[in-house]
Amino acid sequence: MENKNPISPHIQIYNWHISSLVSISHRVTGIINFITVTLIGIWIASLLLGEESYVFTNFFLSSFVGKFVCLGVIWSFTFQMLSEIRHLIMDLGYGFEQKTTKVTGLIVLIGSFPLTVIIFIVGRHLI
Amino acid sequence: MVQLSLPTNSKVEKGQYYKDKTGSKNIRKVNVYRWDPSKNENPRLDTYEVDMDNCSSKVLDILNKIKNEIDPSVAYRRSCAHGVCGSCAMNMNGKNGLACTKAHTELDGDIDIYPLPHLKVLKDLIGDLSTLYKQYESVEPWLKTSKVNDKENIQSKGDRAKLDGLYECIMCACCSTSCPSYWWNGEKYLGPAVLLQAYRWIIDSRDEDRKERLKKVADELKLYRCHTILNCTNACPKGLNPAKAIAEIKKMLATA
Repeated sequence: MENKNPISPHIQIYNWHISSLVSISHRVTGIINFITVTLIGIWIASLLLGEESYVFTNFFLSSFVGKFVCLGVIWSFTFQMLSEIRHLIMDLGYGFEQKTTKVTGLIVLIGSFPLTVIIFIVGRHLI
Repeated sequence: MVQLSLPTNSKVEKGQYYKDKTGSKNIRKVNVYRWDPSKNENPRLDTYEVDMDNCSSKVLDILNKIKNEIDPSVAYRRSCAHGVCGSCAMNMNGKNGLACTKAHTELDGDIDIYPLPHLKVLKDLIGDLSTLYKQYESVEPWLKTSKVNDKENIQSKGDRAKLDGLYECIMCACCSTSCPSYWWNGEKYLGPAVLLQAYRWIIDSRDEDRKERLKKVADELKLYRCHTILNCTNACPKGLNPAKAIAEIKKMLATA
């Protein structure tokens, strides 16, 4: 017999914690990175088509929207990187105390922003 | 399957409003999830005005007050009232915990009380935990040893210390029902409570079935659906760390 009882509310009512926020962001940035790497691959392959396609991507990446996309993608990468380091440490069995998870979670959340700016500036002026 | 919204029969509707009749000046609004299996209705959220001047310190005291003085039809599990039995596990202001150990002064604003998340509701605040109990049985939570003697089964102090933080678990299910992985894959993923119990027997120096136990739990769905979201550790009313126990199992499997 099918159970027709209702299901109690879950994600609708459950509080967000720093660690759950980092976890869901890790997933989302993972998907974004997957798409980004594919797009970078297509971009590089498109260079084979000659100067025109280079000019086009250059034009796009120099525009305001292009720069915004760049920043977003770099943030997605830095976030994933920091979060991955956090996961590596946890895989070794460290950093499971409630306070520690909060601190490392905050480092990932907040730290990804200055790191994004640094990588963007380094990329624009040094490379 | 990830299902973010509730099915139509589970949508919570606005319920009744019970106005305070004591004339108290210290009133707190308490919203309680209600569902009656004998009626063909959706769940609803009833609101009670509770006189806090004559109410003891815990959330369970509020519920008892509602049941005794305002509305005797409210159903919830409770027994020891001292955080030992784990019966009164529920969701209070968005976080799982034991109503008997949670002080209402720690909660801000109106108090929202729901059953443990993502369970089939039996009535009001009572959720159906039979899947979890079956999963608990599946890890065979008892000592397996070939020793048959009438003396004590001795353990070193160090080995005994490994059970600290594990044996205290009261199986209240606060952790498992706080875990999004368990919400979406509760039929297959064992969940933090059961995995902590599994680890409790894996790490016991007196148990001779460690290899078998590890093999049994080493499964893409049973174990590795844990993505260290850490809601479990945040929720545990006994201050235990299921996430760490799961990580230790993963580590043992990776290094074995």
